[in-house]
Amino acid sequence: MLIQEQLTIQEKLRILSDAAKYDVSCTSSGVERKGRTGSMGSASEAGICHSFAADGRCISLLKILFTNQCVYDCKYCVNRRSNDTVRTSFTPEEVCRLTMEFYRRNYIEGLFLSSGILHNANYTMELLCRTLWKLRRQERFNGYIHVKTIPGADPELIRQMGYLADRMSVNLELPTAEGLRTLAPGKTREKILQPMRLIQTGIVRQMESEGMMLPAGSEALLRAPSGLGLTVGEGEEKSRLPEWGQAVPGPGAGKTGAGGARLDGAGTAARAERSSVNGMQAGGAGTAARADASSVSSMQTGGAGTAVRAKMADAVSAEQKPVSPRQRIGRSRYGTYGVRRAPDHRDIFVPAGQSTQMIVGATPENDFQMLTVAEALYQKFGMKRVFYSAYVPVNEDSALPALTKQPPLLREHRLYQADWLMRYYGFDAGELLSQEKPNFNVFLDPKCDWALRNLGLFPVEVNRADALTLLRVPGMGPKSVERIVAARKSAALTFRDLKKMGVVLKRAQYFITCSGKLLHPIRMEQDFITNALLGEERRSVWDITHQDSYRQLSLFDDMHMEIPGRG
Amino acid sequence: MTVYLCEDSFDGILCGVYDAWMGRKGHENVRLEIEGTRDPELFCVYETAVIQREKMQKVITAVRGKISEEAYEKIYVASLSGEEGRADAVYRFLIEGFRYGAGVLDMLHLPAVFEIFKLCRFVMNEGHLLIGFVRFASTKEGLLLSRIGPKNDVLPLLADHFANRLPQENWMIYDENRRKAVIHPEGKSWFILREGEEMWEERLSWETDEEEYQALWRIFHNTIAIPERLNERCQKTHLPLRYRPYMTEFT
Repeated sequence: MLIQEQLTIQEKLRILSDAAKYDVSCTSSGVERKGRTGSMGSASEAGICHSFAADGRCISLLKILFTNQCVYDCKYCVNRRSNDTVRTSFTPEEVCRLTMEFYRRNYIEGLFLSSGILHNANYTMELLCRTLWKLRRQERFNGYIHVKTIPGADPELIRQMGYLADRMSVNLELPTAEGLRTLAPGKTREKILQPMRLIQTGIVRQMESEGMMLPAGSEALLRAPSGLGLTVGEGEEKSRLPEWGQAVPGPGAGKTGAGGARLDGAGTAARAERSSVNGMQAGGAGTAARADASSVSSMQTGGAGTAVRAKMADAVSAEQKPVSPRQRIGRSRYGTYGVRRAPDHRDIFVPAGQSTQMIVGATPENDFQMLTVAEALYQKFGMKRVFYSAYVPVNEDSALPALTKQPPLLREHRLYQADWLMRYYGFDAGELLSQEKPNFNVFLDPKCDWALRNLGLFPVEVNRADALTLLRVPGMGPKSVERIVAARKSAALTFRDLKKMGVVLKRAQYFITCSGKLLHPIRMEQDFITNALLGEERRSVWDITHQDSYRQLSLFDDMHMEIPGRG
Repeated sequence: MTVYLCEDSFDGILCGVYDAWMGRKGHENVRLEIEGTRDPELFCVYETAVIQREKMQKVITAVRGKISEEAYEKIYVASLSGEEGRADAVYRFLIEGFRYGAGVLDMLHLPAVFEIFKLCRFVMNEGHLLIGFVRFASTKEGLLLSRIGPKNDVLPLLADHFANRLPQENWMIYDENRRKAVIHPEGKSWFILREGEEMWEERLSWETDEEEYQALWRIFHNTIAIPERLNERCQKTHLPLRYRPYMTEFT
């Protein structure tokens, strides 16, 4: 390994931003903070993009590694120990100077600081901590900071860092423990999940002290079951995420395939069942059903968490009052983890919440596994975001896909689409995919695909259907639904009006009626609608897979090609 | 047809609205235009709306009282639009507003409401983009200078944002399409200045010692892209070409 000490700042920036570019979670959202006299910077909850790179990705934060030296040898990583590249490191002063000067000129929204592991986790974490402390306390930087947590670092260091950063993240990288074992020999599942849990605990504590944690059923920002994770003993950590490396239960193991696959099923079984019975009402979960299910599952699982779960089930069933709908249009279904607003000069622990990232296509996991893990991360770990990163081959290794393979961009795109459907549209992972159909449709987006599999629920009447039902119509989103619900109070809406409200009629027309009429006389028939929608979607699929026109068509490399309704 | 010519400002549009309304010629027989945006037509009577404080005040009170505070914000934002028909759009919207009251903002199916909605969306979107795309250059004295060329008059939107973000800096953003600038002295509140173009050109040519950070920023901008994912079309969608001449990384 060649460690260069005498590099100029330009060369360091080139090396250390190049090494950081594969990290995708670079948003600056999640916290609203006003400027302060005597310091520089503010934060906007929606996040602000400052530029766009040639790959079309947003540049919001100064995304750099502190150092690209690393003791680990993760096979997929460009900075792995065994790679023969120039190694270098910033000093805390250099990071501060770059951040402050870039920020002043409005190049960036803040800092994204990650790092290779130098010597050991604690040593690295201390370096990062010192850098952030300098930036916040000495330079009086009040902008956005996202910092990567080093797995295995001391909890006290994580705690200190949490008060300096806006968002923290630990990358899960690979959705299964098996994948992690093959590709990241130095890391284990527990080592990654432990800091995640620590951060989640810290965030919840902070929210409690701000009075943001209300009992389930009220206008809660956090539902009670999510808080449960905190009281669960250490022993249960491992089982908090679905584990696919072990034998996957057959269809008989659970009531539905999806339900059976989850180890921690408080409420999940009920939801999966409900969704199969009555998919259209998934948003408004009844308390009773959930309480039942959780007590059932606590009977079945036994083990460490039983007592806690039973207690939780009691708490939930004690409130038999109808819960206010969990799904609020335009808000994530999984609640808001993070204080979101940093009102005064107090230090707030990770106000913008935590995020994580999974690599798509480095290991043979299917989309259903990815999506189930993401769902569990939202439900059990209070993630604000899960990011998906199409694997770009940078290393040659027998355990990895070939170097010539193109990044699975379409698959990544479909995962993001599904991720949004889960958070903002009230879908469960089990509704979009299943054991029997574990991969996304290449030709149709997940929402159209779902609608075509559930044609019996359509068409819906735009002027009468409730908001959550409209939200499930392809071509409609939270904004257009809100506008429709507001506008239809004063007039019966027509298709032309819908267009003004942002509804994509190209997709929506097959699934809605306006005052009892369809836009065109069509047959409510799967094959017919599928063909009509395919023409529309084919172009965008082509765009995603042909970002360079000279590239080989890689559409079928990692997809199960399947046209809905024929299989 | 009577055409009321308004000065190109929020005040001007409000006075135009007042005159057109009080002229009692029938809504379909009047039109509002911003002075100098269109050639005169043959069969039109032109009247200039003179700016008077009490006219503005009356319109504002009526809008806030009979429609809503939100509607007042909407017509202000719409007046910042660069669209030719913005004055008339505000007038048509207010006709519906006075008819339906506070609920009018939800009635997107009405053409006049949709028009205002569209104007506001464009102004706010461009304002939001520029909050990210503005690039400052620092002079030797530490003054931050920026130049923009937006389609809408977004300076007031930018001013609030940057005054909040950079309270301890002296900065200036110059809109070269409207030849005016927002100026923020350290620790004080911002103000907008309209002066001759020459003066701005002279000020903007002040020497900056920016080579170092501009070079660093370009390095970062280039290396952060993943070559395997190259996608210029996506980049163009998010960062339209018309903003690029003003941005460090593209010049």
